[in-house]
Amino acid sequence: MAIDVGTLLQILFWGLYAGCIYILLATGVNLIFGVMKTVNFAHGELLMIGAYVTWTLFSLTGLNPYLLLVATVPVLLLFGIAVQRLAFRPVLGSHKLNEIFLSIGLIYLFQNGAAMIWGSDYQSIQSPFASMAVTIGSFRLPLDYVIIIAVTIGILVGLQLLLRRTRLGLALRATSQNRKAAMLSGINVERMDMIAFGLGAALAGAAGTLWVVSGQVFDPYMGSVPAVKAFAIVILGGLGSIPGAIIGGLFYGVAESAATYTLGGAWKDAISFIVLIVVLVIRPTGLFGERGE
Amino acid sequence: MDLDRFRPYLTWIALAVALLVPAFASGSLYLLTTASIALVFMIYSEAWNFLAASGQGSLGHAAFFGLGAYASALTASRFGLPPVLTVLFGGLFAAGIGLLIGLTCVRLKEWFLAMVTFGFAIIIQTLMVSQFAGISGGWDGTAAPALVPSSVPFAPYVQYYLILAVLIGVLLAFRALLRGRIGLAFAAIRENEVEARASGIDPVRYRLFAFGLSACVAGIAGALEIHQFGYVTPEVFGTDISFWPIIYSISGGLGTLAGPLVGTVAVTVLWEGLRGIGLTYARFVIVGLLLILTVIFLPNGLVSLPGRIRAWRRRREGEGD
Repeated sequence: MAIDVGTLLQILFWGLYAGCIYILLATGVNLIFGVMKTVNFAHGELLMIGAYVTWTLFSLTGLNPYLLLVATVPVLLLFGIAVQRLAFRPVLGSHKLNEIFLSIGLIYLFQNGAAMIWGSDYQSIQSPFASMAVTIGSFRLPLDYVIIIAVTIGILVGLQLLLRRTRLGLALRATSQNRKAAMLSGINVERMDMIAFGLGAALAGAAGTLWVVSGQVFDPYMGSVPAVKAFAIVILGGLGSIPGAIIGGLFYGVAESAATYTLGGAWKDAISFIVLIVVLVIRPTGLFGERGE
Repeated sequence: MDLDRFRPYLTWIALAVALLVPAFASGSLYLLTTASIALVFMIYSEAWNFLAASGQGSLGHAAFFGLGAYASALTASRFGLPPVLTVLFGGLFAAGIGLLIGLTCVRLKEWFLAMVTFGFAIIIQTLMVSQFAGISGGWDGTAAPALVPSSVPFAPYVQYYLILAVLIGVLLAFRALLRGRIGLAFAAIRENEVEARASGIDPVRYRLFAFGLSACVAGIAGALEIHQFGYVTPEVFGTDISFWPIIYSISGGLGTLAGPLVGTVAVTVLWEGLRGIGLTYARFVIVGLLLILTVIFLPNGLVSLPGRIRAWRRRREGEGD
């Protein structure tokens, strides 16, 4: 089977597009881990809540769903801060397994709370740009893919600017590097925990909006599979490393897209398994991760 | 009332209650079935808790529960073997896969282990409905013959006591293991791996052993469960099934033998009660909230409650003097 350049580009582009949602999730997981040293296993549920918030706002206002990103992200930011303050902070510093068990309670709470509020049926909306495409040479790119990739790049650049160019970013990075030293320099590390969790939730919320506008279906239980993929990417890129999450996410999206194209759709989800095992056997702390914590 | 006086007899009281359940449930198949399933989940939760005792928290034990279920159902229905035997095969099969998964997991720290086990369960489910759909029957699942054929007189009762016997066997085995050298090694690894290594304990070997045995018992539990239901679907690999033993163990008391038993009874009673008043999604919300509250306010579970109350009383009496 001869693969021409057009097909190759198509696979690459699909991969970039699919990778966007995983990158946003994985970056959030790593941001939270970097600062709090906690993995939020209910992260996929934040994606789901983001999707429903966008959907609700869309049903109420009928605005262009891309614009609703501006509303969904702050809602999830506040939601994340509340979750950190009410659930994670009380167990911070106790046994690590407690934080994992807490996330499980949150998964139950969020999934079924969402089912109570929004119902458990599949939902989807159609993007206003659904039928439009950008033609480059021999192949057509759906306009939505282009916008989603651009939005993701915009969000990541914004996050990078926040982390590198502001005092808040400096404080977040300091907390992540050395919590005690940060505390001694007068940084309110508990506030940094809340902000990091809020930012992570906001990124998941953005991913939720993008999920909805790309026309994919969603229900209250949609979060677990993307979350597993985000964890695979986190493991691939190294726990706590944001560049690792981005590179890992891109690699993962392209690998998934290539596997779907060459092996068939059934392998789409199983590829995360293979990626996980290969990476873990070769390097138990991930490709870019440091040894130990 | 002084609970301490009853303490030495608690085991016997619990055993007596377990033996007498079918008498109370006479005529009500619903009660007997609920009790039998609760016993299965006690076995399953003990398996999860045993792994937790070695310092490993699995978020994907449904993988082993489900593999045991499928292995047993398929061998029983394809080769016509009696389920009482194939249940053991289910356990061995789950243990085999468990050891393979364990090999990639034993060197991992808490987070990685949790992520990987969480992923494994979902991925095995995906494989079952895609690559192995020909064998497993895909989403439709596959039939499983009854654990005790209905031709046997009092089949549901025989089945209940059979499961109870397995539970007692599992409890005795885990008790012997945890009170012996292995239990000490687990505690050493859990508390401080470097020191454990320094005293000549090989953490990898002990963790792998815990993984294999836990997977085996979880597989047996899965097989017992589906032979009761009569069929098995890929839902058995769902996150719900992975999370139940965690909920039971934590609400009862993590790392104790009695914990999963107490937790299973308490949560099952609550669960069935909430079903009784017609709640569906709200049940899960309530259980999720209770799990969060337990982790925050009662991290050692219900078994630690009497001690807590005693301490609280003593403090109050002290203040009164």
